[in-house]
Amino acid sequence: MMLFHLLKKEVLIVKKYVLIMLAVAVLIPPFMLWRAPQYTGVLGFMLSVIFCVFMLLQYVSLKEYQFPKAATLLCATPYSRKMIVLSKYIFCMATYVVCCAIYGIETLVIPGLGSCDIKLFVLMLFITSVFIGVYLPVQYKLGYEKTKFVFMVVIMASPFILPLLMKMENVNLDFLSLLSPILAYGEITLLSLGLLIISIFLSMRFYSSADLA
Amino acid sequence: MSDILKVENLNKSYGNFTLADVTFSLPEGCITGFIGINGAGKTTTLRALLGLTKKQSGNIQFFGLEMGKNEKQIKDRIGIVLDDGCFYEELSLAEMKSIISSAYTAWSDQDFKRYMDLFSLDPKSKINTLSKGMKMKYALALALSHNAELLIMDEPTSGLDPLIRSQLLKVLTDYMENGGKGVFFSTHITSDLDKIADMLILINNGRIVFQEEKDFLLDTYRIVKGDVNALTDEIRKLFLSISETAFGFTGITKRAAEVQSFFPDAITERPTIEDIMLANIGGYKK
Repeated sequence: MMLFHLLKKEVLIVKKYVLIMLAVAVLIPPFMLWRAPQYTGVLGFMLSVIFCVFMLLQYVSLKEYQFPKAATLLCATPYSRKMIVLSKYIFCMATYVVCCAIYGIETLVIPGLGSCDIKLFVLMLFITSVFIGVYLPVQYKLGYEKTKFVFMVVIMASPFILPLLMKMENVNLDFLSLLSPILAYGEITLLSLGLLIISIFLSMRFYSSADLA
Repeated sequence: MSDILKVENLNKSYGNFTLADVTFSLPEGCITGFIGINGAGKTTTLRALLGLTKKQSGNIQFFGLEMGKNEKQIKDRIGIVLDDGCFYEELSLAEMKSIISSAYTAWSDQDFKRYMDLFSLDPKSKINTLSKGMKMKYALALALSHNAELLIMDEPTSGLDPLIRSQLLKVLTDYMENGGKGVFFSTHITSDLDKIADMLILINNGRIVFQEEKDFLLDTYRIVKGDVNALTDEIRKLFLSISETAFGFTGITKRAAEVQSFFPDAITERPTIEDIMLANIGGYKK
């Protein structure tokens, strides 16, 4: 129950942006279909998930950075630091689930988007897990400003990464269907969850030893 | 009287600052003032007590329970007021309350509403539209609405006007009369403590200088004013702190009777808590 209220807190502190991000999640896939039909599908969904999860997490981090003593007050109440960390991960994963649901509904009502494929969701679960699995522990260790700098460097390197990313459409995910689907998707899902668990453990450890503002 | 808080050999250091073997206890039923100049270690001590900053060593017990092993249970029984700006300022008072209230098992919406009415606070207001005094009142409303047995406050009166400070002190005395087991608050505005404190703890340079009952301190210490020509090195040793001019001296002493035997005509005055604090940390001058 406490976790639910902490999750509610994340939503409340970025409530101004939640609706915008929902609109983004709704609009990106059909926009891609309209402006760049060759990139619809994997890339459209990928962009909407990355954009929503990353931007909302950034906004949450920004608000925590702007009002650092608010987190201190929360830690002075019976909310444990571990629970506060866990709520961040649940917030990100909830955003991912909402993006999946929106995309799933869109594929039903917009035929050009293609079919709603479970391998897409599994792939994005993996990508999201890698992203927040790296980002959050780094942020708990280095703080908001330094993490922003580290990720700025990554973004500046993106011109070199982007061409590889653009080729994602050509990535043949059919190898997954060669394996037993349950086995392949199950393994990737387990790997993603494993990554998240390790990341949560690290974040909890970093945050538990931090001296609060 | 049992102790509701017991701190033994608390150590914490960072940068150039060290809390060294901080040891004190809070008896039940007392309003205890934690005094010291800025940078003395008041806030660091309070944060270490609440686990907001990690202690290097030491033992902390609230209500007879070890803090390390019973953190959640202990925090459920404590009301906290931190210094200014401890909220997500873009939220409304009702939204912030909904976050905080969910942490406590004994939260009372009825009490919260009573305090909100008492302080004339509108739940729909945004926190960033409140003045510093109103924010402090709001923090107090949050801290007092879950049947807290102990109230811990960090510089609650700092930067507040005299009217709000006196309202706040009234709320604290009411809280104690209505079953509160203790109030522990840090401040460098010692005039507030003259009015309500039962016990005083002085910290300086990260070390506890004394823990005494306020009345005992006020009865023990004396300001002595006299002729500077009669001062000798031996007499000077009787003072904790002394300032001398061509016209006379003013000193503060714990050994008033002895001093008076040397200066039967000297003027003696009852000191304030501020005088006692400054005398003990070497900054007394009058």
